[in-house]
Amino acid sequence: MNRFAPIRIILLLLTLALGRAGFANIDTARHTSASQQALELIKNIKLPDSSIWWPNIKLNLFIENLKANITEPLKMYQGSNTNFCGYAAFSYLPLQDDPVGWTHFMLTLYLNGEAEWNNIVFRPSKEIHQAAGTLRFKGILDIRPADQLWFLALADHFRSYLNFFNRRFHPGSEDTFWAACNYGKFNRMIRQMLGWHVTAHGSDLFRPHFHDLFDYLTNCLQTGTTYLYVNNTYLHKKNHNKFRGSFPTHYIVLESITRLPGDGDRVDIIYWDYGGRTLRQVDLRFLKKILFGVSHCTPPQHS
Amino acid sequence: MRTILPYQALLIAIFVITAGATSCTKLNITKYYRRHHPALDSIEDTYRKAYSKKPFSIEFTDRPFDRVSLELITDTLTYIYEYRIGETRLQDTLKKYGYDSLPIDWLITRMHSMECTWIDKLDYYEEQQRHSLIYLSLWPRAFNSPFVNKKYYILTYFQQPQYFDNQGRLLSGRRRRHIRKINASVFFRLNDKVAYTISDRFR
Repeated sequence: MNRFAPIRIILLLLTLALGRAGFANIDTARHTSASQQALELIKNIKLPDSSIWWPNIKLNLFIENLKANITEPLKMYQGSNTNFCGYAAFSYLPLQDDPVGWTHFMLTLYLNGEAEWNNIVFRPSKEIHQAAGTLRFKGILDIRPADQLWFLALADHFRSYLNFFNRRFHPGSEDTFWAACNYGKFNRMIRQMLGWHVTAHGSDLFRPHFHDLFDYLTNCLQTGTTYLYVNNTYLHKKNHNKFRGSFPTHYIVLESITRLPGDGDRVDIIYWDYGGRTLRQVDLRFLKKILFGVSHCTPPQHS
Repeated sequence: MRTILPYQALLIAIFVITAGATSCTKLNITKYYRRHHPALDSIEDTYRKAYSKKPFSIEFTDRPFDRVSLELITDTLTYIYEYRIGETRLQDTLKKYGYDSLPIDWLITRMHSMECTWIDKLDYYEEQQRHSLIYLSLWPRAFNSPFVNKKYYILTYFQQPQYFDNQGRLLSGRRRRHIRKINASVFFRLNDKVAYTISDRFR
């Protein structure tokens, strides 16, 4: 028997007790919990220095990462050149709306190698157990093992047609279709994991039609969280090629849209992606051109 | 004896020209850096100093280098604005957000003349420590050929001398001896602190 087993059992019981207290609060507060509670949860738990499940995760970095996400949720970064943008965008909701639930899930996953969220059991594969903590040359994601674990566990659990040729994780899969998140899967994750109501317009292939895009987005912003599914080759240009693929590649969280007075169709948009908020001026025509989906998400009490 | 048909001769000629153009582009980056390193190094130096006061990045968004996009980075928000070269709005924006316009104007002019399409500061991590480098993307007309895809010549300026293997490839550290990738590309030695790669993306 593993020499850490008795300690782990005690810690697990402690974790579950704390977790229940947290979840009881979440239930009454309808999935809204304070960052302070999540930090207390981390403070009150003792974790083994190394995990048999996650041999490449260093505990000090793991704890620092959890704390950083709780105190500064908007700084979560998907890593450079990965396909984790869907999972990073998804994280925007639980990190801000339910940091206790997210922290409890991560601690349980670290301790037990598996965890449950909203009756969905995550049992990451052996490859994921080995890979978490080893992703390199991805910017700050290099020293964020909890984010690596979170993204890998989500990508390993939720599958779609994009995984047809990429079923299992191999080193480097984080940059391939294995990690990509199509529109249906993205909305499914929000519905199943968070129980939020999602009104989605769009698809992976065809752009949706909006009679008045500005009005539609303004209404969405007033009543919930709004995700845009966009063709990033225009928004975050990486080359000057005239011919670019006409397909969506990226998720952003729209936070604000305002018309520029006396400037026709031009608007200021503020959106979140890549670990930060950005303001830029775009034409509504340009926005329509790059837009493949709008997901309007409302918490359970509004649905 | 077998004769070469006209269309075969044409195909051979196209192949030779394409191969020549491609190989030339690959060889010239080291010569190009040697010839232009005072100008390129001064861009890096000016940018590093200006960035340390208030962070920003500069991008030329079109081939004629007529349009410039500025990313002005604050603690809470990154502002992205695009201008035509010489537009007065640019100065108004810099003033509004408290940027020193002198180095930024100088950089835009110098980047325009050197056909430098993007400059930014990137963080990278080694032994859990954060380091930074300056990432400079060049798109000189001299390197372009109608027969090959657009390629950008990326220079990375490190603050400390780096380790390279015997093929000149950038390594992630003396002990680990792993090839370091930046933006998914392998980089090659120009000198102890400067490396280059050829990429189809400027960032």
